[in-house]
Amino acid sequence: MKNDRKRTFLLITIPILALFICFNTIPLIRGVIYSFTNFKGFGTYDWVGLRNYADLFTDSRVGGSYLFTFKLAICATIVTNVISLILALGLNSKIRAKGFFRAAYFLPNVLGALVVGYVFQYLFTYILPVFGEMIGSEALSSSMLSNENTAWIAIMIVCCWQNIAMNTIIYISGLQTVPEDVYEAGSLDGATGWKKFRHLTFPLIIPFFTINMVLCVKNFLMVFDQIMAMTKGGPAQSTESISFLIYNNGMSGGQFGFQSANAVIFFIVIVAISAAQMSISSRKEEQL
Amino acid sequence: MKKSKVGIHTNWPVMILLILGLSTIAFPLYMAVVIAFKQPSEMTNSISGILSLPSHWSLSNFAQAMEVTDFWRSLGNSILITVLTVVLSILIHSLMGYAIGRNRAHSKFYKFVYLFIVSGMFVPFAILMMPLAKQTAEMGLANWAGVIILYVVFYMPMNVLLYSGYLVNIPIALEEAAEVDGASTWRTYWKIIFPIMKPMHATVAIITALAVWNDVMTPLIIMSGTGQNTLPLAQLNFQTQFGTNYNLAFASYLLALIPILIFYVICQKQILNGVVNGAVK
Amino acid sequence: MRGKTTRFLSAALVLSMTGVMALSGCSGSSSSDGVTEIEILQYKPEAATYFDQVEEEFNAAHDDIHLTIDSPNDASTIMRTRFIREEYPDIIGIGGDINYSYYVDAEILADVSDYEGMENIKDSYIDIAEALEIVPTDGTYIVPYVANAAGVLYNKDMFEEHGWEIPTTWDELMSLCEEIQSEGILPFYFGFRDTWTCLAPWNSIAVDLAPADLCRQVNRGEANFTDEYREAAEKYLALMEYGPDDPIAYGYNDACTAFARGESAMYPIGSYAVPQILSVNPDMNIDSFVMPASDNADENTLNSGIDLGFCVTEACENKEAAYEVLDFLLEDENIQAYIDDQNAVPCKEGDFQLASMLDGMSEYIESGNMTDYQDHYYPSEMAVDAILQTFVIDKDVDGFLQRFDTDWQRYNRDIIRQVQEYEEENGSMN
Repeated sequence: MKNDRKRTFLLITIPILALFICFNTIPLIRGVIYSFTNFKGFGTYDWVGLRNYADLFTDSRVGGSYLFTFKLAICATIVTNVISLILALGLNSKIRAKGFFRAAYFLPNVLGALVVGYVFQYLFTYILPVFGEMIGSEALSSSMLSNENTAWIAIMIVCCWQNIAMNTIIYISGLQTVPEDVYEAGSLDGATGWKKFRHLTFPLIIPFFTINMVLCVKNFLMVFDQIMAMTKGGPAQSTESISFLIYNNGMSGGQFGFQSANAVIFFIVIVAISAAQMSISSRKEEQL
Repeated sequence: MKKSKVGIHTNWPVMILLILGLSTIAFPLYMAVVIAFKQPSEMTNSISGILSLPSHWSLSNFAQAMEVTDFWRSLGNSILITVLTVVLSILIHSLMGYAIGRNRAHSKFYKFVYLFIVSGMFVPFAILMMPLAKQTAEMGLANWAGVIILYVVFYMPMNVLLYSGYLVNIPIALEEAAEVDGASTWRTYWKIIFPIMKPMHATVAIITALAVWNDVMTPLIIMSGTGQNTLPLAQLNFQTQFGTNYNLAFASYLLALIPILIFYVICQKQILNGVVNGAVK
Repeated sequence: MRGKTTRFLSAALVLSMTGVMALSGCSGSSSSDGVTEIEILQYKPEAATYFDQVEEEFNAAHDDIHLTIDSPNDASTIMRTRFIREEYPDIIGIGGDINYSYYVDAEILADVSDYEGMENIKDSYIDIAEALEIVPTDGTYIVPYVANAAGVLYNKDMFEEHGWEIPTTWDELMSLCEEIQSEGILPFYFGFRDTWTCLAPWNSIAVDLAPADLCRQVNRGEANFTDEYREAAEKYLALMEYGPDDPIAYGYNDACTAFARGESAMYPIGSYAVPQILSVNPDMNIDSFVMPASDNADENTLNSGIDLGFCVTEACENKEAAYEVLDFLLEDENIQAYIDDQNAVPCKEGDFQLASMLDGMSEYIESGNMTDYQDHYYPSEMAVDAILQTFVIDKDVDGFLQRFDTDWQRYNRDIIRQVQEYEEENGSMN
């Protein structure tokens, strides 16, 4: 019996793992090899040893992109998770027209980048400044996208707006695993509102919280589409994300080798962060 | 079981908040719809101008957008790729999630496999692009089939993460009972575990379908030169560096939004109704 | 209910597999009985309609050659993907910019100096192409097809109504701006949120004030940008005074719309913007003039470079057939059709009818007083457009020039080394 179980698991794992290695790990290794060259993306190239890696640490644009990306990712992760958790609880509660609301709140995720970019550029360039003047706010009366200090906030708003839908779905499906009797038992004990959430609901959906944290880290640290749609890295290169640099300078420019090195380091950094994140939350899961 | 209760006491404060929140979605959508019906000559930079209704309602933008993108063929390709990817993802990733979810707590090997696969999520696509373009061509996969295989691999980390997380809440006792009755692990999986994970299948289906549906990069580098287009590839035609026809583009994006929205509405019904509740008890 | 999901999934799988078979069934295979296949991959999707028509006409007239012209969006990504797969098209259509320099250097392109049609190409454009080679390389690698021209677009009706004169020197331009402003009209519009547009006024100012081969001089270690670009940088900033308060707030599209709606009198951008502007206001009368950045009218020159040229790849098996295709593309009526469609300037000698919005530049075009864009030498990863955007925000001339010099050395390291090695071996390039 036990052997059958073990063998089945191995028979499942090995072919799938092989597929994964073939189309993810092997190309990654090929990419890592390029990071030791001055390959432009075509033609011939020379080996440059560790030059690309050494350059990474002195390149101010790369440094700036890390600062921007992390600032954005941390803030956006918090905002997105708070809002989508509230939204999931709301959409999961006893309301009318549930189907309609769920569909409506899903829309931001489906709209193409061109539409989102246009609408939000318009909002930030023309509509918000007028609104800012009306309420007499100096900060709002000029375009957020043209100010080095506020452009990242505009990007964050768009990122959250688009990602909340996805996180909400995951929270909703997590809420389905909370057995009804937990609530029933809880309400007998007189647990209500925040207390009920804190002590009954939340502990049960921690695995989904972990998933959402990891997905947020992935989506926001690797932010690209929203940058291309909104600012193209401007103003004054203040919103160049790491993925933006890797793609723009590596794929469209002639820095393929250098940006491969950037991608390798970036990969290691995110893996380290999410490993830490997962081990913290799995410790939490065990505690409860 | 639960549904009957819903109508009885509606939580009105929540309702009102949800309706207020809806305005953040209604506004961009309104703008998109209005622009999709306007002509380029109606575009202005003034707020009243952009928010005003089109001078006349006509579907000509939609008709033209369908012509430019060769809508039905592109739609067919997009649906084909999306459906196949979703089906394969549900079958393959749930199996992988199952093997990992049931073993990672006590087996070092599975724990490693788990971290190995999940970390694949963080590989910047740009570093894979060139090697993959070369590799798929060498393997004769520079076509839609290659695109599907790549998607199944790309979304594996996220979906394995989702499935194995979901399994934590499914008691192992369920399988053990079946196996005591003499069913093999393989059979038990398909008979008991796979159906129980239905809410997760629906979640995975939505997330994967959406990612595939909107993706431009993979088909662009893999399928270029095959003469086949997906919808997002065809939609690139609206946008060049020197000029973008927003009106046609918006019409086209609204059209492309409908199938995936329908798919979502169908799937999200499956997420509901706490299957686990019924099964576990 | 349990079996239902599984059954549904397998049904879906079977269905889509059937669809797959049907689809793969119709993908055509190329026949090769005596017919030579020639494939062109060109990078201007906006000219796709023109090229579709050329393809059709060519194939109707030729039995021995079958031509395919591909005009994809995001062609640069597709070209690179094709190169890495080693599936080279027979001919590529690209612009005369640094990518061309890279491709020549990477030995992807074939020497076309034996192509007879080269005789009819204007010398000025062949010189521009030669200058783009990183180190002088024997032979010619591109057949220049059409050029673009960038200067200042202006609202012709508005100019006539107010009786404004076209400026020919920098002082005249400045006093014209003052005059326009005093009448309550905005002289210029900028859309610098789209960073690439920062380059348009920069290029047209820099060609008047800096040596045409400045970038190559710097690579040889004979000059620096701090000295040569100072005047251009100062004048670039001066121009900003006559634009909208916050030029970074607006995008290219906003600027085109604003100019089309008469919100500004002039718009310093290339002729490629005309279709977008006309889509908003089809009745607009647009003309253009050469940016008069120099105080001496004779020193001003038209900013013009190779917008589209055709290169035969080294991998092309049948050069004769490729040349026949080029002959067809270079027929006068085809070039005329292209320039009518795209407001372009032909690179071929001959009597062509130019688009009306180029009227103000025709004098320069006819006399051949043209200089290539400075940015055709800038590596794209250096992001000079973003450096300019930063400059517009912080207005620090010294900081800008200094950064230009240091970044240039950083991003052109390999090129500079290659140039200097060549110098040592061959003596001076001049």
